[in-house]
Amino acid sequence: MVSGGGVPYLRVVDDDVYTDWESVYRDNIDRLYRLMYARVGNRPDAEDLTSEVFSTALPPMRLSSSKGEVRAYLLVTAKTVLASHWRRRLGQPVTAIDLDTDIRYLSEPSGPEPPSDAPARAGKILGGLPERYRRILELRFLEACSIKEAAQAMQISVSNAKVLQHRALRMAANLAVELEL
Amino acid sequence: MTSRKLSAFIDAIARGRRPKRFRADAEDVEVLRAAVELRAARPGDAQPTAAFTEGLFRRLSEQAKQQERTPIRTASRPRARTAWLVAAAAAVLVGGTAAATAALTSPAPTHSAVQVPQGSALRTGTFLTAGGQVLGQIVAYRGSPSWVFMQVDVPNYNGSIKCTLQVDDGSTVAFGTFTVKAGTGQFSKSIGSVDVGHLRGAKLVTSTGSSVAAATFAA
Repeated sequence: MVSGGGVPYLRVVDDDVYTDWESVYRDNIDRLYRLMYARVGNRPDAEDLTSEVFSTALPPMRLSSSKGEVRAYLLVTAKTVLASHWRRRLGQPVTAIDLDTDIRYLSEPSGPEPPSDAPARAGKILGGLPERYRRILELRFLEACSIKEAAQAMQISVSNAKVLQHRALRMAANLAVELEL
Repeated sequence: MTSRKLSAFIDAIARGRRPKRFRADAEDVEVLRAAVELRAARPGDAQPTAAFTEGLFRRLSEQAKQQERTPIRTASRPRARTAWLVAAAAAVLVGGTAAATAALTSPAPTHSAVQVPQGSALRTGTFLTAGGQVLGQIVAYRGSPSWVFMQVDVPNYNGSIKCTLQVDDGSTVAFGTFTVKAGTGQFSKSIGSVDVGHLRGAKLVTSTGSSVAAATFAA
């Protein structure tokens, strides 16, 4: 019952909390790594940035906060860690973390199937390229071929493979912008 | 030169190696992003290794033990509040190794002592030059009192920087001045009764009044 026409201000109590910092770590380490890997595209950097997020976020963390609040806090920390990484590495924000959409990386059940949409995004981009452009990018980025191996597979010279890759990436970048990926 | 460095960077990404730093041009960003996204689609590396997860767990455990061994000083309430606000700001603002170290070694916070900043309590913005170059970040924290933190990297600059805050009615709140040394500066200050929810942005100018960068707070 509310007296005097006042509006009750109730706070939803979320009892879904972590019991200790180890449980915070165990529940989120895979998720955060996947997110960082999707944003930097290589294991060494993804590992360093994931480490940086936990080293920064864990000490001042209050465990009475709900899991959702802890994950939101980890995501904010990850966003600034990634922004600092690109500023140091290239001076340009190549990729970023969106607090509204990327929370799914941390909130969806952790399992063998990552929530990453990277394969679908790559599929859309590659599907829009001419055959030779698509093939050189598949060989290099999906099949991890060296430029020499890719050239051999396509029966072209190494220098031609370099030019082909460069043009293919430019077209892929334009396509990603057009598709708003 | 830049083209060679761009090619080397892309080659490292394709091979799954750590790429070397270089000063990229703005027009290279889309190509670099495409390379990262294509590589991220490759199955395998998207999962962390057990060696990494267990190794990091051991390092964090050791850091936590060291922190617990550190004597906690009896601090006045304002001092304790300042310490945890700085730690929280470091967490959301800098995110670097130095910040991590500072947060881990700050005497007041422990793993259970400090409130997690909630999404609605934080507002962030990125300092951009007129040419679109990212110079740093600003974080506003709604509390009692509310605070603003910022960190900027201004290449080859040594000197004072004046920061002003704008609120959503267009008025400017004189804020403060801090020093940038060897291109890097950090600043934190209470904003008194200013409602964080009404902040629109921040501007940075040099001591001579030259514009350095501006930031707009995300909604």
